[in-house]
Amino acid sequence: MQRTPDIAGAQVAPALWPLAMLQSRMATALMAADDAGRELPAALFAGAMPGAEGLRVHRNTVLGGLSHALRQTYPAVDQLVGEAFFDRMAVEFSRAQPPRAPQLGSWGHGFVAFIDGFPGTGNLPYLRALAQFDARFDELARRVPDDRHAGVAVPLHGELNLYFTAGLLVHSSSYPVAALREAILADDAAALAAVDLACGEQHFAMWRTAEGVMLQPLGAAAASYLRAVLDGGTSEQALAAALSAGDSPEGAVAAQLQQEILQARFVRVATHNNAATGAGQ
Amino acid sequence: MSQSLASSPIPARAGIGLRLPHQSMVATERPTAAWFEVHPENYMADEAALAELEQLRAHYPLSLHAVGLSLGSAVGVEAAHVARLRDLSERLAPGLISDHLSWSVANGHYLPDLLPLPYTEEALAIVCRNVGQVQQALARTLLIENPSTYLCYASADMSEAEFLAAVVQRTGCGVLLDINNIYVSARNQRRDAHEVLAHWSQALDHRSVGEMHLAGHAVVATTDGAELRIDDHGDRVCADVWSLYAAAIAEFGVLPTLLEWDTRLPDFRVLQEEAQHAQQLQDDYTSLPLARSSRADFRNQANAAHA
Repeated sequence: MQRTPDIAGAQVAPALWPLAMLQSRMATALMAADDAGRELPAALFAGAMPGAEGLRVHRNTVLGGLSHALRQTYPAVDQLVGEAFFDRMAVEFSRAQPPRAPQLGSWGHGFVAFIDGFPGTGNLPYLRALAQFDARFDELARRVPDDRHAGVAVPLHGELNLYFTAGLLVHSSSYPVAALREAILADDAAALAAVDLACGEQHFAMWRTAEGVMLQPLGAAAASYLRAVLDGGTSEQALAAALSAGDSPEGAVAAQLQQEILQARFVRVATHNNAATGAGQ
Repeated sequence: MSQSLASSPIPARAGIGLRLPHQSMVATERPTAAWFEVHPENYMADEAALAELEQLRAHYPLSLHAVGLSLGSAVGVEAAHVARLRDLSERLAPGLISDHLSWSVANGHYLPDLLPLPYTEEALAIVCRNVGQVQQALARTLLIENPSTYLCYASADMSEAEFLAAVVQRTGCGVLLDINNIYVSARNQRRDAHEVLAHWSQALDHRSVGEMHLAGHAVVATTDGAELRIDDHGDRVCADVWSLYAAAIAEFGVLPTLLEWDTRLPDFRVLQEEAQHAQQLQDDYTSLPLARSSRADFRNQANAAHA
């Protein structure tokens, strides 16, 4: 009879393995990268189907399920590198950082760092930035649309407040990720080739509406203002952040804030007593 | 066991598994469907989808079919996951809640699959403990589904049907009988699916069966060229499984029956067609005279179609 050491070092026939031991060994075998690690004693199994065949079915289901979950979060990365290469990255990531809970939609944040520098991606310097941008879209898509601008409220002056959409965020990237993502998801090779990768740092406001995830490019000053506000700063602190963000003259900064913040769809200007009405609608 | 009041019970009709790609269309167009079933784990990290499901819930009976409780885990069920399911149950007031006779958590990790249990006394005690804890936390009974199996353990000292019947007896839970899974498991073990169904009928208290599932599956070859059936929920229900379903209706009566489709998801209209097929079989059966001989004829016809 084939025997295997148990946790305490004693010999236990596979058919007598306690359930905890069986599940631990099988989980390890299903996630193993090498053939030796995938083996379980044949004596563990009975029936018409060889154990190795059954394990192969389960391994494919587990790893396929994890790849599928990551593919939902990172569609542009998937489209860019292709299904087979994405699966390779996803399987290696799944083995390195397996999920701890069944709601897979909240798993996989480490994938962004994991694929940075992944062998074979040297010609895609923007891969990490693209993955971060995918993750931002996914994060916002899972939020309930906020038509009431129920997020941060900031006193403007007098009796006016700025009311921001809940979940609003500022995303900055060293690459033109919006143009890259749009071209990749449209499968437009010409548009992708035309993207200027050296265009410098890009900033975007991102938020969720009933129509989907919204995106608005921001200048450096507007991005700094908005980021300061969303971090809990006062309007004065945010204004100071905007002024120190670039070398634009004060008047240019004011014009940028007027155009990119006060007139944006993600903000509403209203009186303290009537947040639902007012300018900026 | 106290049963929470479900605001809309699941009717004994053919329902449809609702998947996220169809949900917005269903919410806006409200197509014909007797009821829907969803996987709660898909809504635990997606507030937008959950809000939409809540809207939709006002128009259709809803069942929650969990895949992540890991009722067979030796380490026990995860309290946080049970709490998430309880929260969803309170928000959605489902007519039924179910999960599988399987495990998916070990070594602190979640494996997205329905992994098979050895049908031993030790496993039975563990499953009963876990089911009891979940039912207590949810304050309602669970239905437990037989999974498709690709492995059998040498240590098993009872059949799957006998094991689940014992879980029912000890915990008061119900059974979700997956007809496609019975078929897939039987074929993979080179057994006759109708004989296996007859064994289920013998082993179970028929009153415990609260729902049935139907789905398509794939037929592939093993590495040595043998036939392997994989429960991928990626095709129409095959003729053999329709025949087995007719036999199951004759054995257990007309019950809420769900048409599941998960991979290569087609247009919603295809799911409606499949559900209509199941509904027709239910209607054929209920239109029969109540005489025992008529019901027996129905069962014999189903078995003859199989033969």
